[in-house]
Amino acid sequence: MMDIFGVLNMGSKALMVQQKGIYVTGNNIANVNTPGYSRQRLNISSDLPINTGIGPVGSGVTANEIERVYDRFLGVQINNETQSLGQWEAYKDSLERAEMVFNESGGYGLNQVMSEFWNAWQDLTNKPSGSVERTVLVAKSEMLAATFSQNYEDLQQIQRDIDSNIEGAVEEINRLSENMADLNQKIIQMEAGGHAANDYRDQRDLVLKELSELIDIDSFEDATGGVTVSVGSGQVRVEGTQAYKLSTQTNTSGRQDVTWLDSSNNPVIITDNISKGKLKGWLDARDVDIDNSLDNLDILAQRLMEEVNGLHASGRGLDGSTGNVFFTGFTTAAGIQVNPEIVNDVNLIAAAEDFDPANGLKPGDNGNAIAIANLQQAQTMNGNTATFGAYYDSLVSDAGLAVQQATSYYNHQSQMVLHVENYRESISGVSIDEETVNLIKYQNAYQAAAKLINTADEMMETVLAMI
Amino acid sequence: MRVTQNITTSNFISYINQHAENLLKTQQQIASQKRINKSSDDPIGMGQVLGYRTNLAVTDQYQENIEQGMTRLEFNELTLDLSSDLVNTTRKLAENYSGSTLSAATRQSAALQVKDLYDQVMQMANSKFNGNYTFSGHATNTAPFSRDADFNATYNGDDGEFRIMVSDNVEVSIVADGRKIFQDAAHGGVNIFDELKNLIDGLENPDPVAGSVQIEATAKVLQGGRDQINSRRSEYAPVLYRLQATDEYLANLRPKVEDAMATLEQADITKAVVELQNLELAYETTLATAARIIQPSLLDFLR
Repeated sequence: MMDIFGVLNMGSKALMVQQKGIYVTGNNIANVNTPGYSRQRLNISSDLPINTGIGPVGSGVTANEIERVYDRFLGVQINNETQSLGQWEAYKDSLERAEMVFNESGGYGLNQVMSEFWNAWQDLTNKPSGSVERTVLVAKSEMLAATFSQNYEDLQQIQRDIDSNIEGAVEEINRLSENMADLNQKIIQMEAGGHAANDYRDQRDLVLKELSELIDIDSFEDATGGVTVSVGSGQVRVEGTQAYKLSTQTNTSGRQDVTWLDSSNNPVIITDNISKGKLKGWLDARDVDIDNSLDNLDILAQRLMEEVNGLHASGRGLDGSTGNVFFTGFTTAAGIQVNPEIVNDVNLIAAAEDFDPANGLKPGDNGNAIAIANLQQAQTMNGNTATFGAYYDSLVSDAGLAVQQATSYYNHQSQMVLHVENYRESISGVSIDEETVNLIKYQNAYQAAAKLINTADEMMETVLAMI
Repeated sequence: MRVTQNITTSNFISYINQHAENLLKTQQQIASQKRINKSSDDPIGMGQVLGYRTNLAVTDQYQENIEQGMTRLEFNELTLDLSSDLVNTTRKLAENYSGSTLSAATRQSAALQVKDLYDQVMQMANSKFNGNYTFSGHATNTAPFSRDADFNATYNGDDGEFRIMVSDNVEVSIVADGRKIFQDAAHGGVNIFDELKNLIDGLENPDPVAGSVQIEATAKVLQGGRDQINSRRSEYAPVLYRLQATDEYLANLRPKVEDAMATLEQADITKAVVELQNLELAYETTLATAARIIQPSLLDFLR
């Protein structure tokens, strides 16, 4: 075989292999910015040697396979860190919105309105029969009630927005799961033929990462190359080519629960089993933090109403009326309002402590107004350890603290993900410099192989000329 | 480590974002002049700032209450000063007209004068401050004193005191019971209106001798009546002093609370500007180095 045809054959094989190399390099360069793409490498080896009289002789080069440069454990790590990143991101964003409700830095929040409310009572003590003072007090009280309602509504609006986020995320998860099942099928089919489905695998890894951002997942690859993905406490999302659906349903408190449909399409509620991803962040903000804020607002509004009403009912209006409540309508902080009868007739405001049946009315008595105004300084909250104002101030602090913590977790997690991604990039990413070198390397080899054919050709001509 | 262009760019983007965010935050501090722009900037500080704000708002209100209280006291003081003068005039009149030799006509014209003075004293006692009677206790919409055709005076008010909130859970009371000033017979004092009526009766008594005795008797008691009014006036002095002292205390407290709040809430501009310069430097150097590193590749050097 060490004849001229052997040389020609070897040259042509070398040409083909180097051309493949240029092709693979070209593909790498073309995908330098493709998300999730892992660089590929042409595996080449020397072809089978041929036994001759002088021992085995090489027969040129052969291309074995196109290999994807990839660290499978890094993929798992990226997915895990991405789950946490998604969780903190969603949590932080939701808490930041809740913090805006308690935004007091401009001085227009509940703190300010409460101060004005108490001051209006003090103004009334200066002129207990004054109709201007009474009207102003009603206006300030309505403002207080409206601010309570507004804050409460705003927090609930955030919860509703989170609900629609959750619904959107569940749809996205379903889309990604179908995508995943589809890719599983392509990979299984392609790899049954014995060749690695490099590009499909890259795509599947990317889908898995997008899925991780939304929900906590467990995944493993079976022998056929298909990946099984499960969520929550082992509910299977994707198994081979089959994708199961997630759905949402409204629970008793009017919020969205995440459900998993089993093989016979029966919904199983998995809300409490979700432990990471954006869904977890949203669920925590909705069901823990914002619910707490709502409860605290409720407690504040209720205690304020109880204390003011208690004193007010025991006092006397300008017309001698007694037993009237000042605030009505409490079911939540959103429902609090000034007693409509008082709004209609400010004389019902009980500024007087006392009523003298013999001598008649006491328009100059400000005793009850003083008692109510003094509630501002009374330790009425937290088991009689805090004033209304201090209680609210601590709500504002808590909202800020929660955001501060979530932000620091989020920043930390972003750095983690950046590091792991960079590490992945370091292994699987395309380097233009490297590819350029490879390009030149293959091109040179190609030129040299062409020269080999040229040489073989000249040899042939020499042989033919001898005839 | 194998470094690819994508590592360089994603690192660059991440750091540039960080720098930009820090720059924004510092810029915000400088623009708003505030260190705390939202609760999460300093949760504990924000809580304290809110506490101070409440404190300032209520301090303003106390000062407002005190100001109104002082005006009321000054008004009362003026009214009682005039009343005391009027009572003194009647006393002098009683002394001058106590002689039994005066003619019936002279005494009659003196009686008219006293009747007029009686009404003037009652007008003082029925003074209104800010639209309300000040000497009728809590019955501020009722004139405290009225008289019939025979100059018998009745008190229509009650014994309520006017209370002013001057500080947390601290109130100051002002006497508003007109009886304590003008009709304090119940406490061994003088019923000024009765005494004026006695004077009128004495002057109008057809029997000059009996009348003279009556007139003489009133002169001494009216002196006591004048003292009674003045002693009430002197009771206002410590209240006024207390209001002034509290006002001064609150006025002194205010800048201290404002200072404490500013320290917490406001940005240290010098510090913020220095920080801004540092951040600017970091931002610009990151941009500059990135611009140099991102551009070239091997391709730039081939051929």
